[in-house]
Amino acid sequence: MSAGTADGDSPDDDAANRGGDQTERTPLRRSETGRWDGIAGVALALVGVGVVARQPGLVLTGAVGVGYAVYARIGEAPEATIEVERTVSDDTPAPDDDVVVTVRAHNVGDAALPDLRLVDGVPPGLEVVDGPARIATALRPGATAAFEYTVRASRGEHEWEPMRGITRDAAGSQERTTELATPTRIVCTPELSAGGDLPLRGLTTIYHGRVPTDVGGAGVEFHATREYRRGDPVKRIDWNRRARTGELATLELREERAATVVLLIDARESAYAAAEPDADTAVEASVQAAGQAFTALLDGGDRVGIATLGPRDCWLSPGAGTTHAARGRETLATDPALAPTPSEGRFYQSLWLRRFRRRLPADAQVLFFTPLLDDSAASLAHRIDAHGHLVTVLSPDVTAGDTPGTRLVAFERRERLRELRAAGIRAVEWGDRSFPVAVARATGRWSR
Amino acid sequence: MSRREAIDDGAESRGAADDRERDAHPPTLAVVGSLVASAVAALSAFLAAPLGGALVGLATVGFLAGSLRRSPRILSLAAGVGVIGIGLAGYLRGAVEPLLAAGVALALAWDLADHGISVGEQVGRETRTRRNVAVHAGTNLLAGGLSVAVVYGVYLAAAGNQPVAALALLLFGAVALASALR
Repeated sequence: MSAGTADGDSPDDDAANRGGDQTERTPLRRSETGRWDGIAGVALALVGVGVVARQPGLVLTGAVGVGYAVYARIGEAPEATIEVERTVSDDTPAPDDDVVVTVRAHNVGDAALPDLRLVDGVPPGLEVVDGPARIATALRPGATAAFEYTVRASRGEHEWEPMRGITRDAAGSQERTTELATPTRIVCTPELSAGGDLPLRGLTTIYHGRVPTDVGGAGVEFHATREYRRGDPVKRIDWNRRARTGELATLELREERAATVVLLIDARESAYAAAEPDADTAVEASVQAAGQAFTALLDGGDRVGIATLGPRDCWLSPGAGTTHAARGRETLATDPALAPTPSEGRFYQSLWLRRFRRRLPADAQVLFFTPLLDDSAASLAHRIDAHGHLVTVLSPDVTAGDTPGTRLVAFERRERLRELRAAGIRAVEWGDRSFPVAVARATGRWSR
Repeated sequence: MSRREAIDDGAESRGAADDRERDAHPPTLAVVGSLVASAVAALSAFLAAPLGGALVGLATVGFLAGSLRRSPRILSLAAGVGVIGIGLAGYLRGAVEPLLAAGVALALAWDLADHGISVGEQVGRETRTRRNVAVHAGTNLLAGGLSVAVVYGVYLAAAGNQPVAALALLLFGAVALASALR
């Protein structure tokens, strides 16, 4: 809900009345800027020299200096009696949409603000793409200043932080900071696009699905032949063999079953890494890929759940159906555990692993999305795999290779991938290539 | 208090992140205004005494350098050089009127440049700051103008009656009063 539409009693309500109960003002600190320090001394020195040299010009100039000293001392920094009204052009934008934010600051106090600087609290997950979210102005009582800027929407729920109002007195010798909190938020939920076919490993449920298994039965792909038993369907009798040898044999086909999959996303602070300062973080890439995997798996009839590896708890138990699809979409888009900036709090891996294992259904396999930037991610994959939940590691490549340090990180990450593969854990990495392309390439190498 | 500090830290780290994109140089209007004012100061001081005018001219260069390097310290130094220039011009028997004009213009020049640096730091150069800077310059000029009016009025009224020593005493009184006020 945008600030502008939060409250509308009557059409002729002006900004002052509307803002009256919106902005919460918190005085933060007062300080002396000390910029006029020494002016009195300089002025008196001039006067002194003038007296000694008997030069009226000098004395008068010094006297004017004393005037400035008085000017610097009178008055004090007024409190920023500002009502802030913030309007966003779209409070449910799609990712990468430009959202125009219009801020109107209205001086509701009785005193003029001769020197007012406003710095808007843009949410940390949003990038300002046009115009600074700031203004420096002067406001008479009842006057309004407006400015607007554009942010680029990114996945998640973004709440504006309090705006900072910095006021100074006319001479600028005192400064006062006030926080002006006006609640504004935008929610950006990406559409989940279905990524191509995601190959799963052989751990399946008893339900029919599309993961080929080593169990003979009904299916499409040839598995084995066995001798005919009474009651076998006529369609599955191997008539060629009957013609050749006269024996009856039954074709066994590979049974295709559904799997239970948990998408585990690494959202520890170390995963909030990107190749460049303004590029997408590994968490962002993981969430995007997990969204594609989620849709693809759900469409394939598998039961899919979501979990995060991080200080904040996030768990969506495996399920199927349209409600589950909507819930998964919402979790990936706006869950605080997957916010665009790292969650606060400490992360205890052993505690987390215990809880995760307790929740994980016995027949679930894990798709682990991690940039593999530390050893604990790799060892976690090993441990989950060892507990019988087949793990596929999907790793967005966020390493850069421009300095020796980053090259070392990239090298270590490649080593971890190699070790994982050597231990029989499937691993896909993708960097510049899109996730489905990387999966399709990797699938060619895998045997079932 | 700790919450407050946390908020402050947050704002500072946010500021640091912003600095990648934000140009923290002082706004153009403040820099240009400061240069014009200090040129006027140099000209007035030059009319009073050429040597003093040269020193105030040096202060102009200092204001420009301080604005470009965003250093209030350089500005203070330049203002100091300017004051010495005016003092020298006065000592060399400069006329009263150009000295007063030079003093007011020098104060305005320093004030605008310093104000510009703080505005640039807090809101950046691309931001709309015109009104803020104009109001600041206006109040400064008003304060300077009032001081000159009072001082020059007293000077004209008291001309001949040993104005220098009397005025000096009056000034000490004014400073004492101003200190007592705060």
